Amino acid sequence: MGHAAVSAPVIETRGLVKRYDGELAVAGIDLLVGSGEIYGLVGPNGAGKTTTMRILATLLAPTAGEALVCGIGVTDDPVEVRRRIGYMPDFYGVYDDLRVWEYLDFFARCYRVPGPRRTAMIGELLEIVGLVEKRDAYVEELSRGMRQRLCLAHTLVHDPQLLILDEPASGLDPRARVEMREILRELRGMGKTILVSSHILPELGELCTRIGIIDRGRLLRSGSLAEIERSLRATAVLRIDLLADETGVDAACAALGTDSRVGSVLRSTEPGAVPATLEVAFDGDPDAQARLLASLVAAGHRVSGFRQATSDLEELFLQVTGRDDGEEAA
Amino acid sequence: MTASAASRPRPASGVSEFASSVATILSKELRGRFRGRRAFVVLTIYVAVLALIAYGAYVVEAPSARDAANGGTLAPDGVSTVNLVNASSSIGQAIFSMLSVFQLLLVAFIAPALTAGAISLEREKQTLDLLVTTPMRPGAIVVGKLVAALAFVLLMIVAGIPVSALVLMYGGANQADIVRQQVVLVTAAVGFGVIGIFFSALARRTQAATVLAYSAMLVLAIGTILAWRLGTEILTNDASNRFGQVMRAPEEILWLNPAVAMIEVVANTEFTYGDFTETMQSIRGDAYVPPALAPPAGASGGAVADCPPNARCVPPLDTTGVAAATQTPTVGSEHFLWRFVVSMSALSLVLALAAMRLVVPAGLRWRPARRRTGPAVADAGEPAVVEPEP
Repeated sequence: MGHAAVSAPVIETRGLVKRYDGELAVAGIDLLVGSGEIYGLVGPNGAGKTTTMRILATLLAPTAGEALVCGIGVTDDPVEVRRRIGYMPDFYGVYDDLRVWEYLDFFARCYRVPGPRRTAMIGELLEIVGLVEKRDAYVEELSRGMRQRLCLAHTLVHDPQLLILDEPASGLDPRARVEMREILRELRGMGKTILVSSHILPELGELCTRIGIIDRGRLLRSGSLAEIERSLRATAVLRIDLLADETGVDAACAALGTDSRVGSVLRSTEPGAVPATLEVAFDGDPDAQARLLASLVAAGHRVSGFRQATSDLEELFLQVTGRDDGEEAA
Repeated sequence: MTASAASRPRPASGVSEFASSVATILSKELRGRFRGRRAFVVLTIYVAVLALIAYGAYVVEAPSARDAANGGTLAPDGVSTVNLVNASSSIGQAIFSMLSVFQLLLVAFIAPALTAGAISLEREKQTLDLLVTTPMRPGAIVVGKLVAALAFVLLMIVAGIPVSALVLMYGGANQADIVRQQVVLVTAAVGFGVIGIFFSALARRTQAATVLAYSAMLVLAIGTILAWRLGTEILTNDASNRFGQVMRAPEEILWLNPAVAMIEVVANTEFTYGDFTETMQSIRGDAYVPPALAPPAGASGGAVADCPPNARCVPPLDTTGVAAATQTPTVGSEHFLWRFVVSMSALSLVLALAAMRLVVPAGLRWRPARRRTGPAVADAGEPAVVEPEP
């Protein structure tokens, strides 16, 4: 779905699974983010965004599957991965007893940035995040929004290829959110690849080149905002009940597959159950739906039910676009 | 901003890289710990208290020391009196033992407190994730934090040396005794510090880490003595021990005990059969020859050959035995001192290595922290970073 010009992926995950004490937090996520992209992970709280990001940030080992950053496996060589990423967790603390410049200097030294470069770079970073006049202030004197921007600055000290920002705007007042968004825009201009998460879509929508909608550990849709919206509007989910045995169902699936407007075909009933129910993503108006039904019946399939269903994704999309709980962020 | 390759470090030797990593953590930690007046005030109070204790020991000891020096005790001939000791050195010895015990107590209580929060506080304040996602090695994090925390304890110990050196003026203990005292103090400080940082890396909360660290400290300092006493009681009262001999529990139980090592150091300075000597003898029995009794009072014509192996004896003087007894105390046993230093250092090393492992995120814990000859994909597969066109 719409990642045509992805060259040399900065992030690549294949069948990523993370299980906590038997509970599935991430259930097989395939993610492909190319250089220079701003990829937004959107989903409700507990959808698996943070877990995915922590795996990529080498803080968690996946239960199964692979996660690669710039082609390096996160468990194969975590140190090499850490050199290429800047990570901002959803919850984090700062060292209160340091001054702002000392804080950045400390992290720059952790990344072994040579001395003369550090001073110049700290000035640049403070300018980007708008904390120049706070250079000598103690970190504990900063407001929440300023701390958030300081933490963002700390992810940049080693000029990483990839930024992993977990809910960078959560808990901020509207003005601070706008400021944060401006900074992200500036970073996009600098050519950084950014993986950013949020549980409300409008926060990310216009900023991201692509968006992934994630729920219960699964990546439901991935693509540009326009693509996702179009596919949601155009695609209906059809429930088709078939009175058929296994071979009959397989034949029906094959027949459906030949239609270009049919997306995924899923079986929602156990094998062998009669009637067998198929969930078919279909991109077409009611007229096209009628023709699909006619062609199925003409081909000899015994269709006992044919109706349009509302998908979970649609509800989820309403939720993440903030029409339900936009205030949850506070 | 330049291409990301520019910020990648030049290859450095492992040692210098480690040292600079430690220095990074150290400077950050020290900025927090020593900033402001607090450290200075605490140190001043500490030295003042030490000086007060030394003065207290003087006040308490001086009258009886003068009496003993003036009156003397009965010589072996049962008629004349002997000045076994002079007033000055018994005052010095009293000061030395008071300072030794008090400093050890302080170190035992301060060292774990300073390190028990080192890692867990970062966890509680949610700063550890930021630190762990840097290429900083976990070993450097632990060592840097340990050194920073111990720096203050070591500063306290060093600041106490001049007070202990008062003893040199009085006599009663010499430089070697002070060196031994310092060795025990420093080893105990490092050992308890490492115990603190180990539990700090293990426990989720600082509270738990502190409780565990103090428990471990008390087990080592008091528990081992209780265990040894209990063992001795059981063995002695055993039915098979028909003649009621004293059967001692294995002394290995006490090797990690800093108190026993310090008692031995102080016992070395006692020139009468004092409390510390008595304790040492109850632990080691006949194997321990108190320095106070080491030169077997020349009257019997004892030669250097009678000298116990681990005591440095002075040959008896040619006059009557009386003179021999008035000499300065001999340097005595270092039996527990070295056993303590070696076993405590070994324990510290093991716990420090364990703490380094515990800092690394779970799941990534038992993998090599770093591959020197990294996979080809690490560099070859990396796309060229191009500056975006404005």
